[in-house]
Amino acid sequence: MTAEPPDASLTAPYSIEFPYNRTVGEKIGTFLGGLRDGELYGVRTASGAVLCPALEFDPATAAPTGELVRLTPSGTVTHWTWVPTRPGDDIEADHFAWALIAIDGTEGALFHAVDTGGDPSRLTAGLRVAPRWRADRVGSIRDIVCFEPVEA
Amino acid sequence: MSTPPTPSTPPTPSTPPTPSALPSPVESFTSPHKVDYTFVAGTGRSAFLRGLQERRLLARRCPTCERVYLPAPEFCSRCLAELSEPFELAGTGVVKTFCVVNFPFPGQMIDPPYLVAYIQVDGADTTLMHLVRDVEPADVHIGLRVEPVWCAEEDLDTSMNSIRYYRPVAGGSDA
Ligand SMILES: [Zn+2]
Repeated sequence: MTAEPPDASLTAPYSIEFPYNRTVGEKIGTFLGGLRDGELYGVRTASGAVLCPALEFDPATAAPTGELVRLTPSGTVTHWTWVPTRPGDDIEADHFAWALIAIDGTEGALFHAVDTGGDPSRLTAGLRVAPRWRADRVGSIRDIVCFEPVEA
Repeated sequence: MSTPPTPSTPPTPSTPPTPSALPSPVESFTSPHKVDYTFVAGTGRSAFLRGLQERRLLARRCPTCERVYLPAPEFCSRCLAELSEPFELAGTGVVKTFCVVNFPFPGQMIDPPYLVAYIQVDGADTTLMHLVRDVEPADVHIGLRVEPVWCAEEDLDTSMNSIRYYRPVAGGSDA
């Protein structure tokens, strides 16, 4: 006990932890398996469109999605927000952006980090990007460290 | 500003051929969630916690609506009026609702089965959550009269753990 006024508020350190383990569906499971292999996959809907990231059900019709389609791992930033700092982050640059990335030939957008080497002026809607893959991949969205600009 | 990192995998210029074999699917992944934080009791609840260290249950009353809070915040949650000075309750109470925990889970402190109850301490309009022990779970029911079992002197603290558990009042009749 420290010397404190008799009516001072008590405080205590708390830690709360939920060790969740979640199952993924067949399509998302293959999408994650693709990431482990360093490949990006989308899934085809009844209308013929390809969704990336893959979903188990077509959000437009609620029908089960179809075949998995291997994609060219490049895309275009559609929206982004700059993150000045995030302690302990894997990205070597001090600064990065969260972005929605439309993968080429697909509908929807993949939410991921974009590393422009700390320079926010390089980020624009329309910026062409490609994934930087982790060397040791396990089948997780984190198998992509981040996306980074590619020269046109 | 640092130098842009070099891509480890250059982008492929054209759509690659779809391989005949798909990747073997991932079936599940861990999604742990952890938050470290500091709980600030506030001056109202701190008075309650300091009372527990002296084996006293300190309640406070709303001057407007007469509601008695245990534990008590600083202000009535209905009227926003500042609550009265703390006063002591005897400690006995009644089980308002309860749950028998049969299921083990990570971080569990007590071996199941055990019984957790909402206890309305006599004189209070609110309930406390605590263990009910020294009784077969099948013999616990809503309305059971209970009393606190306090820690040994050296274990008393500004914590709900100063009450080890509640148990049925010997020879007590139901509320
Ligand atoms: Zn009130």
